[in-house]
Amino acid sequence: MITFEGVTKRFGDGTVAVDNLNLQVPTGAVTVFVGPSGCGKTTSLRMINRMIDPTEGRILLDGEDIRKIDPPALRRGIGYVIQAAGLFPHRKIVDNVATVPYLLGWDKKKARARAMELMERVGLDTKLAERYPFQLSGGQQQRVGVARALAADPPVLLMDEPFSAVDPVVRTSLQDELLRLQAELQKTIVFVTHDIDEAIKLGDTVAVMRVGGRLAQIDDPPTLLAEPADDFVEGFLGKDRGIRRLSFVPAGGLAVRSEQGIPGWSVVLDDDRRPLGWRAEGGRPSEGNGYDSPAKEGDPLEGPVLNGTRPERPPAGEARTRAAAAGLQPFGTVDLNKDSLRAALDAALLAPSGCAIAVDGEGRFTGIVTREALDAALARATGPADG
Amino acid sequence: MGDAEPLVRWDWIGRNWPDIQGLLVDHVIMAILPVLLGLLVALPLGLASARWRVLYQPTVSLMNVVYSLPSLAVFIVLIPLTGLANRATVIIPLTFYSLAVLIPAVVDGLGSVPAHVSQSAVAMGFGPMRRLIQVDLPIAVPVVLAGLRVATVSSISLVSVGALIGRGGLGYLFIDGWQRQFSTPILVGIVLVVVLAVLADGLLVLAQRLLTPWARARRTA
Ligand SMILES: Nc1ncnc2c1ncn2[C@@H]1O[C@H](COP(=O)(O)OP(=O)(O)OP(=O)(O)O)[C@@H](O)[C@H]1O
Ligand SMILES: [Mg+2]
Repeated sequence: MITFEGVTKRFGDGTVAVDNLNLQVPTGAVTVFVGPSGCGKTTSLRMINRMIDPTEGRILLDGEDIRKIDPPALRRGIGYVIQAAGLFPHRKIVDNVATVPYLLGWDKKKARARAMELMERVGLDTKLAERYPFQLSGGQQQRVGVARALAADPPVLLMDEPFSAVDPVVRTSLQDELLRLQAELQKTIVFVTHDIDEAIKLGDTVAVMRVGGRLAQIDDPPTLLAEPADDFVEGFLGKDRGIRRLSFVPAGGLAVRSEQGIPGWSVVLDDDRRPLGWRAEGGRPSEGNGYDSPAKEGDPLEGPVLNGTRPERPPAGEARTRAAAAGLQPFGTVDLNKDSLRAALDAALLAPSGCAIAVDGEGRFTGIVTREALDAALARATGPADG
Repeated sequence: MGDAEPLVRWDWIGRNWPDIQGLLVDHVIMAILPVLLGLLVALPLGLASARWRVLYQPTVSLMNVVYSLPSLAVFIVLIPLTGLANRATVIIPLTFYSLAVLIPAVVDGLGSVPAHVSQSAVAMGFGPMRRLIQVDLPIAVPVVLAGLRVATVSSISLVSVGALIGRGGLGYLFIDGWQRQFSTPILVGIVLVVVLAVLADGLLVLAQRLLTPWARARRTA
């Protein structure tokens, strides 16, 4: 647990970067500091490893005032990842990752073995170990940065906009990787970003800060989306708060019909019971069918893009042509054991039948979620008794 | 120069080769020693100037003044102290010339360490001394080596001036040839000085390749 007690930072030129900050960063969870540029996120983060010392107030690490800890010793127990990765250009990747173990006096062999293990952990090909940082892509460098921060297994990890310099596709995969790692490692993570979507995706707790270094609101993401404390937070959260909130409602509560159809429509399955599409009962539908248009990226046939479970083998290429020839209509699937209500709603909106197809972890048909079932779940989710 | 005299008299070279060799060794010693001494002094001074920026401007200005002094004048001033035709009379001023190149090189080299790299070193838990030795100095090496190349080549060429006070390594050949209106020693001197400079520079480039394989991107970019 990291505790900020009345922490204020005033720089030499009079700038108040952080103003009377009081908050707690729970152990083993991700706490995100989010806010507009210059609101004091980096300053707050750097006070945790004493790269900056507060002007007033104090910071406790598991109850101990960090001013009593020698900075280098404190820092070796706190991983730190920044936007530019900050890798040492003159050291090979493996030695970059082994930095803190070396500092802690591990022998070279053990430190390197640990570094290799971590490279695998963060999804880096160990063939890259003997390269220098300039020979890696930005996304790879960022993974090295994460591996390096984790090398000595510190309980605390500080991350300052670690993913903001890479393209959106790489960013998404790095975020997913972080969530996967965190599920395994359960570090105490303080993550700084100015991207509210990233904050909501990654944070167990999100602290919204405003310029002048003041805390505007700290809450878990669903609460933040549902009940912004004031106009500033509401504005910062942006549009579609209602829909985005549904990402935090599990789809598990939805009622599923086990029949393979509803009046007017039936689901066509392949030999493995994976859905191929919807067929209008009573012959080919009169309305334009989705397969006449040229296939484009993000085609509904490939399943829901957000939060949804894609079928293991989406009917692509040849299968798509066959599906089209058979007069099948687009569909969306939802895995009730893992997906959110938002994914279920999305899956239903993708299909002309208006229903989502429920599937298991392997993408096999388990039933149909009707509009009525969705309505009932939405009513429960947005109702006053929402839990 | 006599009309019948060829441009190069190979027999003269053959006869005087042992002497030429002696001059060559003398030249190398008087050229390289100032650079090594210069590096030895420039490192702490450069570190201090990088650490306390206020020192930087005065140090560099002073070094530029030193650099602008005519070498011959400095040699002559030093003669009463170190003696005529003494190696030290040449080595001392050349050391200052090297310093004038190397101090800025060390400061610029340390300045070439990206801020995010030194900050992440701090955040990883490097102490100040360790950071200097394991992070800042190694990253400064390419810039320092570039300065070293300039200092070495100019030192090799400047040694010759010492011939005017009786100790100039291969420079003696210029004076000798000029006094006797005899072109062979002059040409031999020029060729050897150039070969020496090219060789020393090549060695430093090789050292740079070997010491800093990681800097290749920056070099070719
Ligand atoms: N060393 C410093 N001296 C003076 N002012 C500073 C210093 N460092 C930061 N500031 C000021 O403190 C305020 C907060 O800076 P900080 O870097 O913490 O913002 P941030 O929230 O991380 O912003 P960004 O999203 O742009 O990174 C800014 O107004 C900044 O100009
Ligand atoms: Mg910042």
